[in-house]
Amino acid sequence: MAIMFVLAIYFLLPIYFLFVAATKPQGDLVSTFGLAFSHFRLFENLGDLFGRSNGIFVQWALNSVIYAVLGAGVGTLISALCGYALAKFRFRGREFLFSVILGGVLVPTTALALPLFLLFSAAGLVNTYLAVFLPSIVSPFGVYLARIFASAAVPDEILESARLDGAGELRTFFSVSVRLMTPSLVTIFLFQFVAIWNNFFLPMVMLQKESLFPITLGLYEWNGQTVHIPDLQESVITGALVSVVPVIIVFVLLQRFWRSGLAAGSVK
Amino acid sequence: MTDLAVTAAGGRRRRGVGRPRAVTILAFVLPFILPFVLFYLVPVAYAVWQSFLVVRRTGGEYGTLYTTFGGFTQYAQALQNSEFWGSIGRIALFGIVQVPVMLFLALAMALLLDAPMLKLKSFFRIAAFMPYAVPGVIAAIMWAFLYSPQLSPVVELFKGIGLQPDFLGPGAVLWSAANVSTWLWTGYNMLIMFSALQAIPPDLYEAARLDGASDWAIAWRIKVPIIAPSIVLTTVFSIIGTLQLYAEPAVLRQISSNISSTFTPNMLAYAVASGNNYQQAAAISVLLAVITFVLSVGFMRLTSRRVGL
Amino acid sequence: MDQVVALWNKENPNIQVQTKNIANDQYGAIGNALKAGTAPDLAQVGYDELPDQRTQGAFVDASACADAVAAKSKFVPWTWAQSSFGGTGVFAIPQDTGPMALYVRSDIFSQHGLSIPKTWDEYADDAQKLHAADPNLTITFFDPNNAEWFNGLLWQAKAKMYDYSGDTWHVTVNSAQSKQVADYWQKLISAKLVRTDLANTSTPMYAAYEKNQIATYVGAAWGYGNFRDNLPDQAGKWTVVPMPTWNGSAASGDWGGSTVAFMKGGQHLYEAVKFNLWLNSDPEALALSNKVGGLYPAATAGLQLPQLSQGVPYYNNQKIFDVFADSSKQVDTSFTWGPTQKAVNVALQDAMAKATAGNGTLTDALATAQSTALSSMKAQAIPAVAGN
Repeated sequence: MAIMFVLAIYFLLPIYFLFVAATKPQGDLVSTFGLAFSHFRLFENLGDLFGRSNGIFVQWALNSVIYAVLGAGVGTLISALCGYALAKFRFRGREFLFSVILGGVLVPTTALALPLFLLFSAAGLVNTYLAVFLPSIVSPFGVYLARIFASAAVPDEILESARLDGAGELRTFFSVSVRLMTPSLVTIFLFQFVAIWNNFFLPMVMLQKESLFPITLGLYEWNGQTVHIPDLQESVITGALVSVVPVIIVFVLLQRFWRSGLAAGSVK
Repeated sequence: MTDLAVTAAGGRRRRGVGRPRAVTILAFVLPFILPFVLFYLVPVAYAVWQSFLVVRRTGGEYGTLYTTFGGFTQYAQALQNSEFWGSIGRIALFGIVQVPVMLFLALAMALLLDAPMLKLKSFFRIAAFMPYAVPGVIAAIMWAFLYSPQLSPVVELFKGIGLQPDFLGPGAVLWSAANVSTWLWTGYNMLIMFSALQAIPPDLYEAARLDGASDWAIAWRIKVPIIAPSIVLTTVFSIIGTLQLYAEPAVLRQISSNISSTFTPNMLAYAVASGNNYQQAAAISVLLAVITFVLSVGFMRLTSRRVGL
Repeated sequence: MDQVVALWNKENPNIQVQTKNIANDQYGAIGNALKAGTAPDLAQVGYDELPDQRTQGAFVDASACADAVAAKSKFVPWTWAQSSFGGTGVFAIPQDTGPMALYVRSDIFSQHGLSIPKTWDEYADDAQKLHAADPNLTITFFDPNNAEWFNGLLWQAKAKMYDYSGDTWHVTVNSAQSKQVADYWQKLISAKLVRTDLANTSTPMYAAYEKNQIATYVGAAWGYGNFRDNLPDQAGKWTVVPMPTWNGSAASGDWGGSTVAFMKGGQHLYEAVKFNLWLNSDPEALALSNKVGGLYPAATAGLQLPQLSQGVPYYNNQKIFDVFADSSKQVDTSFTWGPTQKAVNVALQDAMAKATAGNGTLTDALATAQSTALSSMKAQAIPAVAGN
């Protein structure tokens, strides 16, 4: 029990510190103890954050949401289709295909970023939304999960009767299977959402235009400037808090999906 | 992982598994396969191809650049580069210490959470899992504040007991980065193991308990072996993650001159690419991917015999 | 820059200019806009980056425009030499320079009975005396992550790092002159007579000056406003004097400054030349650039600006720009940057950081920079040899 408390403090302390720091005026960061509140100025700090450089932070937050929601949405759909086909259809090369996709799980995504940059610059895609969006939709792990979930959640009998009724495979998928797979699709979506939300290396390589940055890259840039512009420090802290808290809340609310996904990914 | 998956979904040939027309199958798999090929396989192939090229130049000082086949030149150069080995050595040291520490913590927590007597379970579970919601860059920024000599309450607390820790000093900074990774990923790994533990039918323990086995004995003799596949999986993911390390040291580099531009293999590759030497960067990336692959597959093979994966 | 461009756009409705600020991390950013196929007509490029970018084919030669060629006489000679690569091409128009000088807290100096150091030896003696008198006081700081600054010191010591002759680059990054500079600073570092924990123009750096912990600043002309803006309380306490010299003969170096280069892929070369020349040689534009950005002009006409010949209130009405003008005249004009300077600077910084952490010396750092210079040039298929 005592150990668990120590560990809980370890996990929560930085977030608590972040919250306390986000409520302080810049000057108090250095002059007051970091874990105790001083002048409560959270709302002014938020105002400064959102107002800085013509509201660029809002743009970054929006970009992160666009990359993550759209990327994970499209990614989940295509992973589900592919994983479902791998689970439910028999065709030549199926196992080979699956092995190649699984091999993709082992490829370090950062190793892909540099060659992708060169390819995308040849295609004129660098410095666009697509440069970050397109690679983000591919999640081999998502296919792997979808295959496991599909074979577990969609009984073959239902597919058989749908086929007897003369329904096409795609129609069956969208009208019957998707509904059965919904909880697992949420799981896949969440995994991919977090992966894209946290992604940093790819956007850093691909983007130079600040207006396209996701929150991670934007705060990284700001953090690099705090050495010279002390005022930015408070905005980096407040920005970090703003970018972390909503995700944590969503996260905690959706915990059961994680557990089912993690269980499926590891045990089966 | 391949083995693992085949037993999961393949193998069985059930009656309801259809054999639709090729067009239908393509309609299902192509939406994924196409981008997978374009944004996974093609870049890999491109990187491999690039890594076999060398730059040539026509017309002296500022002549026109072109590339030509150079065999293993780039690989030879990478392997002779002391910065490359330095970064590999650093990451190896990092991984050998950080991965076991993190996984041990995760396992211990998972077992404690699975034990009947612990209270406040969901609080602990959520507390540990929370950091997973924090992007690596932001986690590093947060910890950077906790490390910084001017701002950190932790440094201040240490000063209170007469210590003067320098988290960003030449000897410490690697472990400061390791701490960020541990903080980020322990909860995630814990949850994987915990989910596996929850899937064990309780009656398995009954017999042992009747034989008078203690909770510890049950944990180590029964639970741990059963969830071994999860532990293997988390280890593999941790190996992959460690070899890719970039964001956390890059953030700490912003406040510490003790992290060089070539601190990790990935930072080296990026620095080399920034110097316009894309072919060399490609070779480093390929080497890194090969090392990742060999280590993770090797680890799985090694353990699969033992744990019967 | 934005205000200067606004002035142009107001006066020249036919040639409208748009500016774009790009991310701050110049040595981290991979790939230029050229690779992305979205090159602008003009881009601000540091002198030390010019050869680097040219080896990547980033520039076009504007010498087809007679105006561009004719502008040569309007600029400080070394700036033109570097932007034309010593030849007849015009790849960039010099914008500003950073002739170096020593900023001195005269009050601290007189308090400890020291006179202004004329040579680096005297400077080291002063460092010793200041530190002996007050352990919390150092004469200056050494920022290991600032290769540009260190290169300026090498430049002053007439350390030629590169020479192009006979179709080959001769790389002498660790020449005897360079080593002299490295040894000198290494001694100060080892004796803890200079601090190594401060980054240039960082908040902690200003804090250290604020607390009277540092007595001088080895700086450049463009930085004259830094103390004025960040340490208003120290008005009247600062003096600008010529850089201490090696062996007494006057010489100076340049730290920073940049050019505005003609980028390949641009669509409007003629208009770009027109704007570029106006931006960097028209007195009105130069005056505004100096006023809002502190730029110290590379155009000779700019050196005569009224605001550059008056006393500056913060510096006790000292005519500090006279010091910089003299410094500018003494900058070695034959200094050349290498074609892979970016990679060399990064390697130098990494190695200097190691040295200041007690792992190796600055002389080792020069050796690292030398070998990086050779290997990076080899990788770019640029013919290079070590030594003369």
